[in-house]
Amino acid sequence: MNLLLIGAAVFFTGGVLELLIRQKRTGVVFAVSAALAQLLILPPVFAVLINGYSLAFVVDFSFPIGMAYLRLDPLAAFFVFIISIGGLLAAVYSLGYMKMYSESRYSLPVYYFFIALLVTAMLLVVTVQNALLFMIVWEIMSLASFFLVSFEHHKEEVRKAGLYYLIAMQAGAALLLTAFAWAATLAGSLDFAALGRVLGTPGAVSTCLFLFFFFGFGFKAGLLPVHTWLPLAHPAAPTGVSAIMSGVMIKTGIYGILRILLLGGVPNVFLAYFVFGVSLVTGIFGVMNAIVQHDLKKLLAYHSIENIGIIGIGIGLGMLGMVYRQEGLALCGLLGGLLHVFNHFTFKSLLFYGAGVVYTKTHTREIDKLGGLIHYLPVTATLFLVGSLAISGLPLFSGFISEFAIYTGLVRGLAAGSAILRIAIGCGLAGLAFIGVMAVLCFTKVFSVCFLGSPRAPRPERLSEGSAALLIPMAALSVFIILIGLYPLLALPFLKNTVTQFIPGSTAAAWDNLMALFGRLSLATAALGGLIVFFLSLRQLLLRGRPVQIFKTWDCGYQVESSRMSYTASSFAAPFLQLIAPFVPGHLKVRPPQGLFPREASYESHHDDFVAYYLIDPLNGLVRRFLGLFTWMQSGRTQQYILYGLAFLVMLIAWIIVMPK
Amino acid sequence: MMTLLPILLILIAPILFIGVINRVKALWAGRRGAPLLQAAYEIGKLLRKGEVISKTTSFVFRLSPALQIAAVIFAALLTPLPGRPAVLSFPGDFILFTYALGLAKFVMVAAAMDTGSSFEGMGASREMTFSTIVEPAFFLLLGSLALITGQTSFTDIFAFLNYSAGYSVLVKSLCTISLFIMLLVEGCRVPVDDPNTHLELTMIHEVMVLDYSGPDLAFIQYAAGLKMVLIATLLANVLIPGSAGTAGGLLLYGIALAITATGVGLVESIMARVRMTHVTQFIFLMSALAITTFSVVVFFLSGGF
Repeated sequence: MNLLLIGAAVFFTGGVLELLIRQKRTGVVFAVSAALAQLLILPPVFAVLINGYSLAFVVDFSFPIGMAYLRLDPLAAFFVFIISIGGLLAAVYSLGYMKMYSESRYSLPVYYFFIALLVTAMLLVVTVQNALLFMIVWEIMSLASFFLVSFEHHKEEVRKAGLYYLIAMQAGAALLLTAFAWAATLAGSLDFAALGRVLGTPGAVSTCLFLFFFFGFGFKAGLLPVHTWLPLAHPAAPTGVSAIMSGVMIKTGIYGILRILLLGGVPNVFLAYFVFGVSLVTGIFGVMNAIVQHDLKKLLAYHSIENIGIIGIGIGLGMLGMVYRQEGLALCGLLGGLLHVFNHFTFKSLLFYGAGVVYTKTHTREIDKLGGLIHYLPVTATLFLVGSLAISGLPLFSGFISEFAIYTGLVRGLAAGSAILRIAIGCGLAGLAFIGVMAVLCFTKVFSVCFLGSPRAPRPERLSEGSAALLIPMAALSVFIILIGLYPLLALPFLKNTVTQFIPGSTAAAWDNLMALFGRLSLATAALGGLIVFFLSLRQLLLRGRPVQIFKTWDCGYQVESSRMSYTASSFAAPFLQLIAPFVPGHLKVRPPQGLFPREASYESHHDDFVAYYLIDPLNGLVRRFLGLFTWMQSGRTQQYILYGLAFLVMLIAWIIVMPK
Repeated sequence: MMTLLPILLILIAPILFIGVINRVKALWAGRRGAPLLQAAYEIGKLLRKGEVISKTTSFVFRLSPALQIAAVIFAALLTPLPGRPAVLSFPGDFILFTYALGLAKFVMVAAAMDTGSSFEGMGASREMTFSTIVEPAFFLLLGSLALITGQTSFTDIFAFLNYSAGYSVLVKSLCTISLFIMLLVEGCRVPVDDPNTHLELTMIHEVMVLDYSGPDLAFIQYAAGLKMVLIATLLANVLIPGSAGTAGGLLLYGIALAITATGVGLVESIMARVRMTHVTQFIFLMSALAITTFSVVVFFLSGGF
């Protein structure tokens, strides 16, 4: 535990040093300290994951926090691993990526400081066991990420996105604060263990508390309907930040939900169905909106929402299993959900980093302006393809393994339980399949429109492959993706203690049974790999010594080649868009060609977020109208404000005097 | 040898399956038609040729056909024959089956987009759109069958599938029709797609492989045929009860495949393809049937609420 705290301190010191030292190459100090921190953090993490014990550290703060425990249990260790590795990769990537800001008016040392602060705060968020301390580090995490999102603060849309993010986080924190305060009052202590006793008492109170926590943490995770900050904040932030926010930070929301679940169990059946249902809708909604996006990073942000949905489906299944006392079901759901947390960290960070390389080279995030990049950025393209295949959940890659675990849970749930459970499971099966196939549609679109074909917009200069600092983090992540995809038993044993602590009673047999299943699955995937190698070599063999001519693409006899005619992302998604049109309100701005000799014409399409458009924005409007009633109080004159303060004090004193003891 | 017999049977079936479809169409139109083994001759000829490759393409285009055929053959390893287990079988293998076919689709679509041709883009986009409707329905169907039998692997589901309960005739017919629609969609046959069309604008599957030639094209054509056979095999599994025994099962399997191929040929002879914008409506029929199947099964298993 001490090692972990020293590691966190090393991370933080790296960031502070960046501020203090004027160096030629900003970021090197932080990268080195991040690497050093791994040496300190990873040994206790692995010890806890493998042995299943927990390490504790007590700090005796005086009032109001009191005795505060920092504890590294298997659940915390799992998230610490992701945060720590994610922090290191972001540090390395930023070395290459942030170069483009070195001549700008934005301050790089400040950037590194806030990254360090964010990582340190996240490390504490998952270990702190005291409600008040938790809220403090939680807020530090939110604020650090707010400053990172608003890094390019001279741009108006970045400032807007940053503020939107800040307000969303404060709304979520308000829910959490309410829930913590309520629970702590009932428990008479701020310690998590005491809160657990309140949460574990069945009844209306614990149900309400669970819902408060669920949506409070849901703000951070990006669950429907409180996801609306993600598609704004991710495109605004520098890519290293988007990757760490999407890959790591939103998972602290998932951590929160799991922690509450671990402390109090599932209060009642309704909540299990509720979590399952909300997650299913989140998943479908996320990928549907991803399909219609034109902005690469906004699209990836919506995919984060989708994957949070998949993780939530796993957790919901786990809760159903816990309620109905079906160990196999609970095990599959939680294992799938947790593994998907890690998998999503790997492939989403990889994809964001890939998008960042594309941005540094082409200076655009607009998918429809890209194309043919695979010929200039072969390594980036290949790694991005690995990420795309993984996020689509296709076999041989890690995404399939976690989705397979969730599917297995669903299929097991069919055998057990009531008609209601069966109907829920049916929706889950169809819904998860729908999410999966839409992800395939979306990533065939993204990958092929960005990297394949020919450029859709004129490109002035020849492009060159990204630097090593950009590519190494991507390559490292793809190693995780491929290893887990080919041989899941490498990773699953590390999750055993994390998953089984949720399930009371003996789970050894159910666990071994599940591992045997994954053993057979990896055997089968090996057969698939073998077949692929066989047919690739067969092709080589057949074509040896035969003429292979390079010619142009078949164009139906039409002789004018123009890459402007090639299919764009919008046209690729168009037929599917027709099917889901009611759920993605679209706006068209068309200026048709006019007159006999038309000069110019334009066509603009834009799609809104259904929930933001119909729910969040109108609500915001209401709040704004209500608060507008009080604008007369804000005059801008200091004297008046002092008067307010005086009036408040007078009223307070009067109240104390008048009110009887 | 006997254990390998079923997989060998599946692997040679595509040739005859395509042969029967084309023969039925020819007979219906009053022609004699090509030999039943025509597909084998074509594939054999393609395997002996060189290739022409578009200069716009990358390694994705070159790797794709081998990946497609490998993935589809792998899916065949997971498919049981009536009365016989699949080569690879474990709980939840049907998930791997569907996702292996998904992998084949991913690389096929990516390769089509790799050529930079807008025609191929059109085909790719349509293919993906149709899949989004088919896959959830397919999972619901398999969920229904898993629910009836209480089993979770292809082999066990079909081995335990019997139609003793009263409502099972309903389930059987609903499954049969849904799988037949799936066969038409995934096999790109009329009324979804016309394999004989000559206009690139109206193609779906054919346009995605326009730029392929030689061994690559042979791989793709074989994979496409095998994919149809796999779905037809599932259909045969639904139709033929496990009680038919191993030898009888194989015989009935052959007959079922022949009937299915004849059905595809007849549909193709008497129907025109529907307008592109209406194809999705046709496929939604499968979703509706799948939802009905699942509801029927849940309803009766729970004792009618």
